[in-house]
Amino acid sequence: MSDSTSQESLDPNVRQTAAEIATGDRTDTLLQTDELVKTFGGFTATDSVDFSVEAGELRCLIGPNGAGKSTLLKLITGTLSATDGSVYYDGHEITELAPNERVSRGISMKFQVPSVYGDLSVRENARLPIQQFADGDERERRVQAAIDAAGLTGHEDDEASTLSHGQQQQLEISMAASLEPDLLLLDEPVAGLSVDERAEIADRITTLNREEGIAFIVIEHDTDFVAEIADKVTVLHKGDIFREGSIEEIESDPAVKRIYLGTDEDSGGDGQ
Amino acid sequence: MATGLKHAAFQVRYGIAAVVAVAGLFVLGAFVSPNLTFRISYAVSFVVLAAIGLAIIFGIMGVINLAHGEFILVGAYVTTFAVTAGGFPLPVAMLAGALVTAVFGLVVERVIISGYVPNWIGQRTVGRDLIKPFYDRLADSMVATFGLSLIMVQGARILFGNSIDQIGVPFGSTAGYPDYRIALVGITAGVLALVYVLFTQTVFGTRVRATMQDEQTARALGIDTERTYMYTFAIGSGLAGFTGALFAPLLSMQPSIGDQFLVEAFVAVVVGGASVVVGTSLSGLLLGPIDAVLSDQFGEFAGRIALLGTAMLALRFLPGGITGFIDRVRTMREGGS
Amino acid sequence: MAAESPAADSRSAPAAIARLRNRLEGPNTIGNSRWFWVGFALVLAVLVAIPIVGSGTGGQFSLFLVLGLLGLSLSFVWGYAGILSFGQTVFFGVGAYTFGVVSINFPSPTGITGAVVAGTVAGAGLAALLGYFMFYGGVRDVYVTIITLVSTLVALTFMAQTAGSEWTIGEAALGGFNGMPGMPLFTLGIEGLFSFQFVYNEYEVFIPLLGTRVFDPFYYLVLVLLVAAYLGLRVLVNMDFGRVLVAIREDEDRTMMFGYDVERAKLVAFTIGGGLAGLSGVLYAARNVYIDPSVFELYFATLPVVWVSVGGRKSLLGAVAATIAVEYLRLSLGGEFALVAVGALLLLSILFLPGGVVPWVDGKIARSRLVASDGDSPGGPAEVSDS
Repeated sequence: MSDSTSQESLDPNVRQTAAEIATGDRTDTLLQTDELVKTFGGFTATDSVDFSVEAGELRCLIGPNGAGKSTLLKLITGTLSATDGSVYYDGHEITELAPNERVSRGISMKFQVPSVYGDLSVRENARLPIQQFADGDERERRVQAAIDAAGLTGHEDDEASTLSHGQQQQLEISMAASLEPDLLLLDEPVAGLSVDERAEIADRITTLNREEGIAFIVIEHDTDFVAEIADKVTVLHKGDIFREGSIEEIESDPAVKRIYLGTDEDSGGDGQ
Repeated sequence: MATGLKHAAFQVRYGIAAVVAVAGLFVLGAFVSPNLTFRISYAVSFVVLAAIGLAIIFGIMGVINLAHGEFILVGAYVTTFAVTAGGFPLPVAMLAGALVTAVFGLVVERVIISGYVPNWIGQRTVGRDLIKPFYDRLADSMVATFGLSLIMVQGARILFGNSIDQIGVPFGSTAGYPDYRIALVGITAGVLALVYVLFTQTVFGTRVRATMQDEQTARALGIDTERTYMYTFAIGSGLAGFTGALFAPLLSMQPSIGDQFLVEAFVAVVVGGASVVVGTSLSGLLLGPIDAVLSDQFGEFAGRIALLGTAMLALRFLPGGITGFIDRVRTMREGGS
Repeated sequence: MAAESPAADSRSAPAAIARLRNRLEGPNTIGNSRWFWVGFALVLAVLVAIPIVGSGTGGQFSLFLVLGLLGLSLSFVWGYAGILSFGQTVFFGVGAYTFGVVSINFPSPTGITGAVVAGTVAGAGLAALLGYFMFYGGVRDVYVTIITLVSTLVALTFMAQTAGSEWTIGEAALGGFNGMPGMPLFTLGIEGLFSFQFVYNEYEVFIPLLGTRVFDPFYYLVLVLLVAAYLGLRVLVNMDFGRVLVAIREDEDRTMMFGYDVERAKLVAFTIGGGLAGLSGVLYAARNVYIDPSVFELYFATLPVVWVSVGGRKSLLGAVAATIAVEYLRLSLGGEFALVAVGALLLLSILFLPGGVVPWVDGKIARSRLVASDGDSPGGPAEVSDS
């Protein structure tokens, strides 16, 4: 349940989620968007979205290509600035904040394209986020812990570009997690990975969620992967939330199948 | 940044409207104050002709050719020699100037920009590519072509000395203003129209625009993208050569004239943005008058500084140049939400 | 990865050296082994000896060392922060002219010393201004380079037309293309306490076995400053700040996502680069007792790019070495062929060795060591621990 401090800091403009209204409880809403809009020229990528995630929740974001999933994530991190609407984090409005300011408040992201610093060593990569928080021996300890957690012990001095795709993803998750965020956004963390590598990443995510209490928003297409990790699933379509619920509810919903196939009247043609 | 706006390179709807409007103003001005209008028109032509070759290469290939001024030099020198040493009539000499520069551009493209020739040699000797192509390597292409320009300028100085004999200005004058310069305005419009037609109405032009949009897809569709780049560079070079040819009668022929053109061309391309026709013409229409009026009032230096200052402001406040600005206006008006 | 914590006696000489080497070494600089420092000391010894052993080369060489500071400034800004600046010579020139103006108006040793500070601060200040204009205005990548190029042209155009007598600051006439005459001879110190004249003040020293040799104090002053700047930058790039710069160079957006204020970091780096370039300009003016707008010319603006491209932009040492080498070559060739050579050098180095000569050599050495030691990693940590 929410503690009193978070209730005081909650902005009165933050609307209650459906769950809250239904149960009459105030749960720990960590992230909330309020009629968030993003347009690129004539194209609306994000269409008045009210999206919320609770503290410690593991949410998956799915939807057909072009639905606006990556855009929504970038609006949350501040990489893209909203055309209209607001974003609230931990009760405070963060809509105008720059990405690095949002990071210092506890939001962290891993991009879709693996983007470790290719020419730098694994150790140098791991050190970069950590060096702002710790010095000396404490720093080296935490760097080593991050490398070990990514399963890269022994590869400390290898150039990051020589790592396999899966290893790079693990390294990136380590780096994002080193910022000790409360909310970690992952954009397609297992795209292009083997079944075993996917299992390792799934394991990593659930461990971080359970042990560190980090909330996640994960964009993924692999429904098995989603089934394994998600507390709750949000389906995005044409820039807005189409359905929300457990993975079983979503999987058995024929309307969701239709938007993926593009045969639904709502979708009217190609996903874009 | 250039890649992102490549799709806009030939957007013309709003751009052409603006161009026609300003051109109309000029025609009006011709009746009001002929001399000033002629001078401004000349300044505009100078900028546009200087820039067009550079704009094509920058907009389409993502290469900044800092040797552009020297390409203009080649065209000017070839034309001059064709007349003084070869005795050819001026139009023929000008054509020769443009063609020689185009061929030279072809060679530069094959050897330096795409690295085709060195890589061909490399594959046959050490079994690998030696050079990475300069497409979309804006900073590196600046550095490499600057090296080339140093070689060319000094080469010209060493081979031909500090100046060569100039050819005379054809035609007479009208209302105290040289006819040749007036003719240049018309020629400029013609060149712009030609470029527009070439890149929008021909098959070659379609190939170029497809390559610009998405090189991989273009290749998958059977377009020889390497050839396309090669011809594009040659065309840009040829146009630079043509500019040199056109100005050969008007400027004293020295190896340093390249610099004069480069600064104006560079600023115009940067301010104009990725659009080859619209960006360059609007940029010319903006910068030409600024340069002409300020040079008239306060001297050559003031005009130059005003030009450079405009460039700085444009770079800072108009990302993507005038093209980007028009793009934003267009999408704002068509966007709605 | 750090050198092993000195065991018991943390104040012993070897421990102190280990700590010093720890600050100076790291993955961001080449040369992290004992052999490197031995080589470095040797080269330093040679540089110290050149004016004494050679005949009159000291005079020419001091110019190369002065320009070495300029090359260093670009290497830092380009190789470490990823900002290709064609504008280092603007800060160089502004530093030189500021030095000129201040020292002409205050020709005492105190005044001249102050002028040195003023020139350096002017370079840094202008860089801070331009940097703020660009980075906080969201200008990125090649457009930063273009703006610096344009600013060089602005500086040239402006200074070239300052020939009139109205362009005078106090006693100092800017002089346009004729340059600024009347600078006092470079004398540092405090009026009345101590002062020392560095230019046109050669001492004759008798050295056994070599005979009477000329000792040029200015040369040694510049050498000291150059080495200090080099070592200082080495420490800086191996610190946290340097690591952030490298991360920014590699992937700016990514680095922002780790919570770093990227604009501020770039501004700080650019300002430091401007200060170094300004100092170089001060020494240039001091050495020649003269300055003119030719330092703002496009050709001179590209020379630092040539030096750093050839030497290796990510290598501070490479930048200095290449500056000295290329300038020596340029002045030896002289005249027209020098320009052709410079152009060819630039072209060829960008084509075939875009990383530069020194890192390439370093890579070769590292690889041969890899072969020799049967697969041990030649990376930084291993080398540091062999002290």
